[in-house]
Amino acid sequence: MEKQENVIEVDGVTKRFNIYYDKANTIKEKLLFFKRNKKEKHTVLENINLNIKKGEVVALIGTNGSGKSTLLKLMTKIIYPNEGKIITKGKLTSLLELGAGFHPDFSGRENIYFNASIFGLTRREIDERINQIIEFSELGEFIDNPVRTYSSGMYMRLAFSVAINVNAEILLIDEILSVGDQHFQDKCFEKMKSLKEEGKTMVFVTHSMYSVKQLCTRAIWLYNGHIKMDGNTEEVVEAYLKETA
Amino acid sequence: MQILKNIYNYRELLKTNVQKEIRGRYKNSFLGIIWSFLNPLLQLAVYAIIFPLILKDTQEYYVIFVCTGLIPWTYFTTTITQAAFTIIANGNIIKKVYFPREILPIAVVTSATVNFLISTLIIIAFCFAYGLGISRYIIFYPIVMLVQYVLSLGISFILSSITVYLRDLEHIISIALQVAFYATPIVYASDTIPEAFRGIISLNPMAHIINAYRDIFYNQTMPDFKVLGVLFLISIVICIIGYIIFNKLQKGFAEEF
Repeated sequence: MEKQENVIEVDGVTKRFNIYYDKANTIKEKLLFFKRNKKEKHTVLENINLNIKKGEVVALIGTNGSGKSTLLKLMTKIIYPNEGKIITKGKLTSLLELGAGFHPDFSGRENIYFNASIFGLTRREIDERINQIIEFSELGEFIDNPVRTYSSGMYMRLAFSVAINVNAEILLIDEILSVGDQHFQDKCFEKMKSLKEEGKTMVFVTHSMYSVKQLCTRAIWLYNGHIKMDGNTEEVVEAYLKETA
Repeated sequence: MQILKNIYNYRELLKTNVQKEIRGRYKNSFLGIIWSFLNPLLQLAVYAIIFPLILKDTQEYYVIFVCTGLIPWTYFTTTITQAAFTIIANGNIIKKVYFPREILPIAVVTSATVNFLISTLIIIAFCFAYGLGISRYIIFYPIVMLVQYVLSLGISFILSSITVYLRDLEHIISIALQVAFYATPIVYASDTIPEAFRGIISLNPMAHIINAYRDIFYNQTMPDFKVLGVLFLISIVICIIGYIIFNKLQKGFAEEF
């Protein structure tokens, strides 16, 4: 295999969350009830080291609460590690929660502009791909109706279409392969495959072992905040299924 | 200079946010954009009628005198109160997607600046209505505004990030601003202050900024550039420190919502 540069480097990352029993959020409470600020540290990820190369399609698998989503959030810089550091190279888009920043009173078309600008696109870049986005969403004439009139499926389709057409180098995707009806899911899947062929780097969090096997070149199994296994998709999935069965 | 790169890359987001702030403020209200004139005008009417009655001798052209202080002051307070709230108001998006968080306070200050530019028309209108006219010193107006912009941005960086962790700071800010209103020469002239208090007032950056606006529109003289220059340097320092604080605190924003 040819040598590719690392586009994501996770170096000794530890993430702890504070669990407050009764959090003092105001100056008043901080002064009056300083004892109240009792907290417990919960370590979600501990000393994680991994490198992801350009063009790799990686699945993060593991049971609920194993730290998969936290790792993705760290990679997109929504949250920051307590120890260690994460370096990412190139334009990165995360599809953690779809439709962030959607404004219910505005039309689908206007929301494409809002949403894409959050992803860091300029007006011109959005103008260039608006037709592509609308076409992919299959919303047709509904695109000019307010988003609040959309069904949840339509909403997700629109959000997904924006995110997938941002043209990022790295895509981080959290459990959203189950968008819309079967037809749309198949279409998303095809889109992912073509993105893979274009050499985009992708990191998935998913519980669908079928799509992992179909799409991913590498799988990482997280267990209780540690990497339990990292390697070839087939082997990791098999070991994972055996353990959880 | 990560911040400049971020602003450039996310310029479309900044633009839509500024537009949303400006349009959103008066959306669904009966008079719409007219409110941005009506609000300061009504306030102005109150001061311009009440104070000449109470104070024995007020400045001549008292309406112009008050509005050269009141309108920049309103610009200052809207930035501060809105900036203090902006991160909390956008908490929903912050925990879902990454974007440079500094876009939010910058958008608040910028949209308030646009509003201030519109309100300046009130000052100019009064200057003409009272036959005072406009002097050539108006060319310095953008410079004073720039100083105020940088100062407000610095304070906004600090307050917007700290309020996330101390939610009741908002109330403290509104009380502090009320006190500051009287500690700033808005309804009175700075040379009527008793000698003993002048030192304290001269520590108030807004006092110097308002004096500069007043020099331009009311006294129609050259603003004091020595004071303004020092203030500009201080404002830049506040802005840099503010950004450093903001940048440190923003790492925890998503976990606070």
